[in-house]
Amino acid sequence: MTESLLMAAIIILTLGAIFSLKDHRIGFAASVVSILLAFASLTSETYFFGFFVIAIGVLNLITLFISENQIKGIDYAITAMLIFATILVIQTENFAVLIGTFVLVSVPTYILVMLSDREAKLDVGIKYITFMVFATIIFIIGAFLVVYFYKEMNPSIYIIGYVLLVLGLGLEVGIAPLHEWVPDVFSAADPIPISIIASIAKIVPFIVAFKILIATTNPVTYSITMFAAFLAVLSMFTGNIGALTSRELGRVLGYSTVANMGYILATFVAIVKPEFIYLAISGALLQLFANSAGKIGFFTAIKKEGVSAPFTYTLALSFIGIPPLMGFWSKLFITLALVYSGYVWLAVLLVINSAISVPYYIRLARELGKGWGYGIANIVGLIAVLITVITFYPPDWFVQSVKFIIETFGVAL
Amino acid sequence: MTEILQFAILFLTPVISSLPIALAWIYKPGEEWARKLPYLSVFGLFVSLVISLNILFNFEEGFYSYPWIEDFNINFVFVVDYLSKYMGVLTALIAFLIGVYGLEYMKDDYRLGWYWFFFNTFTASMLLVVYSDNLFTLLIGWEGLGIASWGLIGHWFRDDDDITFVGEKGRKVGPLEMSWSPSFGGWRAISTIRFGDMPMLFAIAAIYALTGSLDIHAIPWEDLFVKIGLVGTVILLFLFLLGPFTKSAQLPFSEWLMTAMTGPTTVSALLHSATMVAAGTYLFMRLTWYIKPWEAHVPGLEAIYLLVLFLGLFSALYGASVALGLRERKVLLAASTMSSLGLMFASSAASFWVGEIAVIVAFWYLIVHAFAKASLFLVAGHLIHATHDRFCSGNLVFSRKMKVAFAVTIVATISLAGIPPFTAYWVKSGMDGVMEHLMEEGLSLPFYLLVLVSVIYSAFLAKFLSLNFIKGEYPHHEHTEGGGLMKLAYSAMVSMLIVLLAIILLQREEHAAHFLEEGYLKMSLYVGLLVTASYFITLYKPTSKLKIGVIFTDRMYLPFLNDFIVPKIGWGIAAIVDALNRAIDFFFHTAIPGFFDRLSIAIRSIQSGYLKSYVKIVAASIMLFLVIFSLVGW
Repeated sequence: MTESLLMAAIIILTLGAIFSLKDHRIGFAASVVSILLAFASLTSETYFFGFFVIAIGVLNLITLFISENQIKGIDYAITAMLIFATILVIQTENFAVLIGTFVLVSVPTYILVMLSDREAKLDVGIKYITFMVFATIIFIIGAFLVVYFYKEMNPSIYIIGYVLLVLGLGLEVGIAPLHEWVPDVFSAADPIPISIIASIAKIVPFIVAFKILIATTNPVTYSITMFAAFLAVLSMFTGNIGALTSRELGRVLGYSTVANMGYILATFVAIVKPEFIYLAISGALLQLFANSAGKIGFFTAIKKEGVSAPFTYTLALSFIGIPPLMGFWSKLFITLALVYSGYVWLAVLLVINSAISVPYYIRLARELGKGWGYGIANIVGLIAVLITVITFYPPDWFVQSVKFIIETFGVAL
Repeated sequence: MTEILQFAILFLTPVISSLPIALAWIYKPGEEWARKLPYLSVFGLFVSLVISLNILFNFEEGFYSYPWIEDFNINFVFVVDYLSKYMGVLTALIAFLIGVYGLEYMKDDYRLGWYWFFFNTFTASMLLVVYSDNLFTLLIGWEGLGIASWGLIGHWFRDDDDITFVGEKGRKVGPLEMSWSPSFGGWRAISTIRFGDMPMLFAIAAIYALTGSLDIHAIPWEDLFVKIGLVGTVILLFLFLLGPFTKSAQLPFSEWLMTAMTGPTTVSALLHSATMVAAGTYLFMRLTWYIKPWEAHVPGLEAIYLLVLFLGLFSALYGASVALGLRERKVLLAASTMSSLGLMFASSAASFWVGEIAVIVAFWYLIVHAFAKASLFLVAGHLIHATHDRFCSGNLVFSRKMKVAFAVTIVATISLAGIPPFTAYWVKSGMDGVMEHLMEEGLSLPFYLLVLVSVIYSAFLAKFLSLNFIKGEYPHHEHTEGGGLMKLAYSAMVSMLIVLLAIILLQREEHAAHFLEEGYLKMSLYVGLLVTASYFITLYKPTSKLKIGVIFTDRMYLPFLNDFIVPKIGWGIAAIVDALNRAIDFFFHTAIPGFFDRLSIAIRSIQSGYLKSYVKIVAASIMLFLVIFSLVGW
């Protein structure tokens, strides 16, 4: 059943892409139907996860309406492929499929990043693709080394694999000290495609890394975990402090991404504590969703030179971590997971970083918030806000669903 | 129960009866009909007087309590004993008479609502202090005194009339201008009193914590002192007595009483001579009454009573000397009040060696002083009205137009000075006896100090009489008509001295015999003659050009403590706070933002935009990590 639903989804997506050459709205409709079919393939435990992914995915598709790019029509299908991969990654335990989803969220963005209302942004594309190819390769090498050498109890090779995997992940999503491409690409590329790269495309790499590392946990992991913690701290400080004095809004969002990726990477320290891993993953996923909603809202605001001020302020407060917005719960779960895992200092640094981030998020909200407005950008803003305020009802429901998800969170070796 | 109800009426009526004028003045200040409402306020004072007389004549001596916070053993407990029944009548009577005087004295004032509300609140607070046995309710009244004192001293808050000031404008001593305004006087009064009230509050809290009781009569004082030892006793009582010391303007807290003379004269008469300042000494007497130091044998107690004895005597000497040098009518009387309060403290403290009779002598002196000094203040107020001058002026021509005031001043001064056989002579004889008794204990200085103070005291009273009615300049300004209510009030006030004299001579009171006995002693008579001589010599020659007079006029430069040294300490603290404030400001507004500014720019400086440099950084980072982990492991 699952397989046939996914197959149907791919077929509809392909046909939609072809017919979109005639009318781009066909591409949009086919993409929506396709991802809804993919959503239907999910088991009931993963509905909440799927709901957020679809919400963010649909939001991405809506934003593409604003963009008048070179491949109008096909762009929906490319984006739908990212969503498809994100739905797939939560269900599979197959190592090859996991690597496949990683590639599937990576490669389509090579095209997206160059799209623009005028001419294709080749310089941005070159800069981006160079690092993405690099990232994909070392991530995959790292993944293979980890999977095939943890059983051999060859700690040296396992450590090299762990380091390569984390560095590949870091280069892919933008974690310091491998973040150099992020501010440049985020400020130079068109805001709409970059909002897709900054949102839906960030989810799969973390889930793949989590699944592989959880499945290969061994005594050596306890010590090498410190490496992830070190990169996380470096990334938080680099991102937040770098954003403080940046004038270009795209660049500020780039540094904000670096910081957010740092928060999420911090949860890797909980991998060695099976009893608290559900908290870590709940926090990481909510942080990814909150980050996605916020980035889509802000980038759309940049594209349309402002959206309604209440939206920008709500998103900013969510990023800062003010209750009961989603950004608060995600940071709370991450912090709790860190404290329970014995990394109190890391939790403290995370809270300090949240404080450092306050000025630039408020600045973003002030510069992008323009009274009240209507139009598609404001609809996007409204949906993004709705996603972040859904946790007005304390998201214990999400944590409970994650407890079920992590039972199949691994790789069949 | 009906007794408790009467107590409630006693305390509440003055306040309630002053509310109409207070509210009227908020909404319709200066209206003609509103100027009639003070009669209601004075009626409220009259009700209190009637109840206090009822308490004196019809209440059994003892304790009347009404539950309040029973779980904490805090209740309304009122005491009727030798001290409180007389003190209550004294307070209510003087408040009523001065209230009557104030109807005329204040009738054209611009802030009647304020004046009567605080005047009556004061009276209620004072009665609460007088009758409270519970230290908690006493403290409520005690703080009411402070607030009312602040409100009434600064009554003429506009500082726009020289007649309300204290000191001489433009006269400078060193860096200080010897002139103080009403608003300044009000502030100084409350700030000085708070300085004493805070330690007193802690002492009361400590007593409660240590004994679980706040009722003065029920506290096991001797057990308490034994429990906390010598040092504990000294610290506890010293902290407690800082309240009475500041309230009663003992050294070095006397300056506020001098600048309190910026308030209306009625206020000076009631608060700053007869009752409020006496509350400090009254509280000390009340404590002594129940501590019974002459029975308790606790080492720390002697040290404290010795301190109070000498503090009182030296304050008395200071106040009398300063009064001798002053020419402002009210400030002279204020200094003399301080002197009298010192004598009350000294005599009460002597009870440690002499026994209960010393407290009774001090208490009698309090009563005599209150009526005499209130009369003199009321006369001074009338004189200020009549001459529009706050400095002494007036001669025999002038005094013919102010016959009643002249006569009242004569009676009040000779009654208070200690000239035989007038009222204070008998009480002062009792005090001589107390101090003489100390000689047997090896303390001879107190007796000589008392005699010296008495002689000086008599001299400045004569000076006051002489410079205002006999040998002063003729007033530059004259307005001697009217003043009927004022004359009535101070005549009634001074007549109380005659009543007291009659009570003593006719032995209508249990302790009168003791005073007569003391008065007939040779030693007392010698002192009385000395005092009489001093009185008449000064009457004949009221001024002197001696240089020491200037030192007395400048209050022995004590204003430097208040106006120079204390502000310097205050400014020092302010400077430290300011420096810390700047440091915090610098840290948060300059250092931290600057640090993050530079750090942020440094972090962004690697964004050269060149792909080649990014590749170098990324490749180098990856290689570096791999090399480290390959070589070192983890």
